[in-house]
Amino acid sequence: MSPARTQAEVEGRRQRARLWTTSGPGLVWIMLFLLIPSAGLLAIAFFSADDYGNPVLPLSTQPFQQVAGFSLLGWDAGNIAIFLRSLQQAGIATLAAIVIAYPLVFFILSRPPAVRPLLLLFVILPSWTNQVVRTYAWLELLGPNAPLSWLAHSLHLLPPELGLAPGSLAVTSGLAYNYLPYMIVPLYASAEKLDWALVEAGRDLYAAGIKLFWHTVFPQTLPGLLSGVIFVAIPAFGDYVVPALLGGDKAMMIGSLISAQFIETPDWPYGAALTLIMLAFTGLGLVAFRIFSRKLGGTGETAI
Amino acid sequence: MIPRKLGYALSGFAWPVYALLYTPLALVAYYSLAPAPNMAGHSFHAYHVLLHDGAAFAALRLSLILALCSATSATALGTLLGYGLCRFRSRNARGVLAQLPSLIIYTPIIMPSLVFGISELIFFNFVHSVTGFLAAGLQTMLIAHITFEIPYVALTVFGRLSGLDQNLFEASHDLYADGLKSFLYLVIPVVQPAIIGGFLLGITLSIDDFTISFFTAGPGSVTLPIYIYSAIARKGISPEINALGTLMIGTIIVIALLHFFISRQRERTRQGVFPPPQQTKGAV
Repeated sequence: MSPARTQAEVEGRRQRARLWTTSGPGLVWIMLFLLIPSAGLLAIAFFSADDYGNPVLPLSTQPFQQVAGFSLLGWDAGNIAIFLRSLQQAGIATLAAIVIAYPLVFFILSRPPAVRPLLLLFVILPSWTNQVVRTYAWLELLGPNAPLSWLAHSLHLLPPELGLAPGSLAVTSGLAYNYLPYMIVPLYASAEKLDWALVEAGRDLYAAGIKLFWHTVFPQTLPGLLSGVIFVAIPAFGDYVVPALLGGDKAMMIGSLISAQFIETPDWPYGAALTLIMLAFTGLGLVAFRIFSRKLGGTGETAI
Repeated sequence: MIPRKLGYALSGFAWPVYALLYTPLALVAYYSLAPAPNMAGHSFHAYHVLLHDGAAFAALRLSLILALCSATSATALGTLLGYGLCRFRSRNARGVLAQLPSLIIYTPIIMPSLVFGISELIFFNFVHSVTGFLAAGLQTMLIAHITFEIPYVALTVFGRLSGLDQNLFEASHDLYADGLKSFLYLVIPVVQPAIIGGFLLGITLSIDDFTISFFTAGPGSVTLPIYIYSAIARKGISPEINALGTLMIGTIIVIALLHFFISRQRERTRQGVFPPPQQTKGAV
C-alpha cells in the first residue's frame, strides 16, 4: 500500500470524525427520539391487545382484521368508508387549492416586482397563526348562527337547525384553507422562472386562452404544481385538527379514527395498524403520482 | 407578459380570495368584542375576563417556555448538524450510508404530525414504565419539539453555508485557524442571519404546533393551543376564547410584518456583501 493512499485514508477518517462530532448529536437525537419511536409504533401493529388496549404478546394479525372492518360483531364497512372519505376530502381540498393557486400566483406576478414579496407574505401569513385558532375560525364563518349558514337557510339548502359546520363541506374548506400556502409557494417559485418567450411564440402561432395556457404555461409550472400537490394532499389526508374541530361525527377522517384508538377508547395495536395502513396508502399514492407525473411529461422530481 | 384584460380578471379573482383568507380571522376578532352580560353594544368585556383567567396565563407561560427552550436547543444542534453536513460530508461517497443523514433530516419534516405525536406518546410511555424517567409533561413536549425543529434549523444553516465560497475555509486554514477557531470566527459570523432565522422559525413552529404537543402533554402541562382546543371541546366557542385567538393572531401578524420589513431593510443595506440567504420555509 503506497504512503499516499494511507495519507488519504487518514484524512478520510479525520473527516468522518469531524462529521460525527458536529452532525452526530443532531442526527442521533432524531434517530433516538423519532426513528426508534416510529419503528416501535409500527411494530406494535403486530401485537395483540389486552383488556386495557395495551400491546401484549403473542403476535397476531388481529389489528389488521380490525382495520379491514372485522370485529366480534361481524364485518362492517365503517372503516372503508372513512378511508374513502379521507381520500375524497384530501383530493377535493387539493383540487380547490390548485384552482385558487394558479390565478393567485399569476396575479402576484402581474404586479410590480417591489410589491410581490408583500403580496406573497399576505397569502402565507394566515398559516403562521396557530392551527387550532385558524381552524376554529372557520366555525365562526360556517357555524349554525353564522352569516353563510343564514344564507343557506334562506335558500332552503339546509335545514334551519343545522350549520354548514360541522360537516364535510366545512372540513374541505378548512383543509384547503390550511394547506393553500403549501400549493402557492412552490407554484410561485416555478412560475417566477417562467420563460415568457415561449408564451409569445405560442401566441404568434395563434394559440389563445386555454390552449395557450395548456401548451406554454402549464408544462413550465408543472414541477411546482407537482410539489404543491404532494405538500397539500399528504398532510390533508392524515390531518387531525381540521376534522376534529369542523367535522363532527359524520365527517370523520382517518386521523380522528387513529387518535381515538390512543385517547378515548385505547386499543394501541389497532391504532398502530391503522397508522401503518395510512402510511402505506400515502406511500402508494406517492409512487402512483410519480409514475403519473412522468407520463405527463414532468420530471417526477420534487423538492424532497 | 400578462395581457391587460387577463390582468383585470386576475385582480377580480385575487382580491376576493385575499378577503376570504382573512375573513375567518377577522370574525374571531369581531366576536371577541361581544357585549358584557346585560349590556348592549360592543365591549372589551371578554378581554377583562381573560386578563383575570389564571389558567390562560399559565398556558401562555408554558407555551413561551416551551418555544424558547426548544428553539434554543434545536438551534444549537441544528447549526452544528447543518455545518457538519455542508463541510465534512465527502462529495463522492455513494450508497445507503452516505444518504443516511439526508434521510434522517427529512423524516421529521415529511412525517405526518399525527404519526409523529403518537410515536412519541408510545415511546415516552414505554420509557417511563421501564425506567421511571420521562413522565409525560413539559420535558417530553420539549424533546418532541426539539426533534421537529432541528431539521429546519439545519436546512437553513446548510442553505446559507453552501452558497458560500468554499475557498474561504481554505483561506482560514492557511491563516492557521484550527477547526474550532474557524468555526467561531468564520462560520458563526457568516451564518448568523441563518442561525437567527432558524431560531425564529423554531419558535414559530413550536407555537404553531398543536398535534404533537397534544399527544406528548401530561395532565398538568397545558399549552395555549391545547387550552383553546379543550375549551372549545368542552363548552364551545366563547368570547374569551375569541379574545385569546385575536391576541394570538394579532401577535403573529405584527411579528411577521416587522420581520419582513426589517429583513428587507437589512437586505438593501447589505446587498453585495453576502449572497442572499436561501428561502427555506418555501423549499420544504
